[in-house]
Amino acid sequence: MKIGTQWRKWAVALVLALALGGAAVAAAEEEPTRDEYVDQLEAICKPDALATQRVMKGARSDVQHERLKLASRKFAKAGSIFSSTVKEISAVARPSADRERLKKWFGYLKQQERYLTKITAKLRTEEAIAAQRLTARFIHNGNLANNVVLAFGFEYCSFKFSRFG
Amino acid sequence: MRARGLVRWGAAGLALSLMVGLLAWSVEAASGERSQRGDLIVALQGEVAPLQLPRHESAPVHLHLEGGLLTADGSLLPRVDRVEIGFPAKGVISTRGLPVCTLRQLRNSTSEGALAACRPALIGHGSVVADVLLPDQGVFRIHARLLIFNGPRKHGHRLLLLHGYAPKLPTTVVLPFMLERQRGRFGITIGADLPATLGPWPHLARFTLDLGRRYRFRGRPRSFISASCPIPPIFTEGFVSLARITYTLVGGREVSQAITRRCRGL
Repeated sequence: MKIGTQWRKWAVALVLALALGGAAVAAAEEEPTRDEYVDQLEAICKPDALATQRVMKGARSDVQHERLKLASRKFAKAGSIFSSTVKEISAVARPSADRERLKKWFGYLKQQERYLTKITAKLRTEEAIAAQRLTARFIHNGNLANNVVLAFGFEYCSFKFSRFG
Repeated sequence: MRARGLVRWGAAGLALSLMVGLLAWSVEAASGERSQRGDLIVALQGEVAPLQLPRHESAPVHLHLEGGLLTADGSLLPRVDRVEIGFPAKGVISTRGLPVCTLRQLRNSTSEGALAACRPALIGHGSVVADVLLPDQGVFRIHARLLIFNGPRKHGHRLLLLHGYAPKLPTTVVLPFMLERQRGRFGITIGADLPATLGPWPHLARFTLDLGRRYRFRGRPRSFISASCPIPPIFTEGFVSLARITYTLVGGREVSQAITRRCRGL
């Protein structure tokens, strides 16, 4: 009886150890290196960055000619692309050594999303000065985001104001 | 009494927030915009003065740029084969009526000698820090003073002559930068090839450039650089792609960095 109980304990421990070990191996296999992570993200960001450039074409001229509602529609499309990009890249497994840094970066990206939504709304209601102030913050926040992930060497996942018209 | 106390606190708070604001600005200004490719970091910072500009016509401005290259792991900087700086296509660069300085006048001259020969053609100044690698001597840094002069035309393009003089390692370098108009956002470019004959010079670390010159021609005031802030009356500020620097490294690889800055409409 006693021996049987011990055997059961050993068997449970073995199963648990195998399961945990398997999970750890799986996690290690899923976790990318920084270079792999950058490659994965760039593959997602590239088409979106190019699409942003396309939808924002002429937005600067629209603003200069006071066609704010038209510019607002372009910002809305860019905002939608940006949101879907952030959602998609958020789901990619992150290198554990960079987790804190990436958490901070995603914080800035979320803020960028909010700025884009607000700029769109202010342009739609033709509140020019408010849109202008938000754009200044949007640029500043984008530069801060870039500084956090400078070492990653992003091209398409980095903020470039020139993509916005 | 209480009201006066509040006013004092208000003034102190305002002063503190101004100080914090200025500190934040200076920290930002010191770093500027940066990007990294591999181990190489490219930085560029710049501003235009005055910030407040007419909306529909160009006014004289002064441009300050600073930037450089840095390696993330502290290794030796790569050799730079070419430097090109782009400015907004809507800016105006005028050399009409400015005296011209020639390469011959600047060769083998100190900064003082260059100024003595070509001061009327001076359009800017600055400084450069470069890493010098001499065989069996390791790497050391040299600091050089830069002077920029209006040069002659070559193949239909205006040349800007950059004169660099390092007093501690008495060396003079004169580089002809070609001023060109191109298509695109940065429609005005000045670019120069850094020939291999420069030896250890091209390991560029950082630079500062101040461009701007006001002068009179046929009784009328003119400026080497002029700009406007083309925004509609409903806005008070606009955003300008101010400059972009592109370095071509040995082997043909290019790294660049652009900066966006605000302008205020008059």
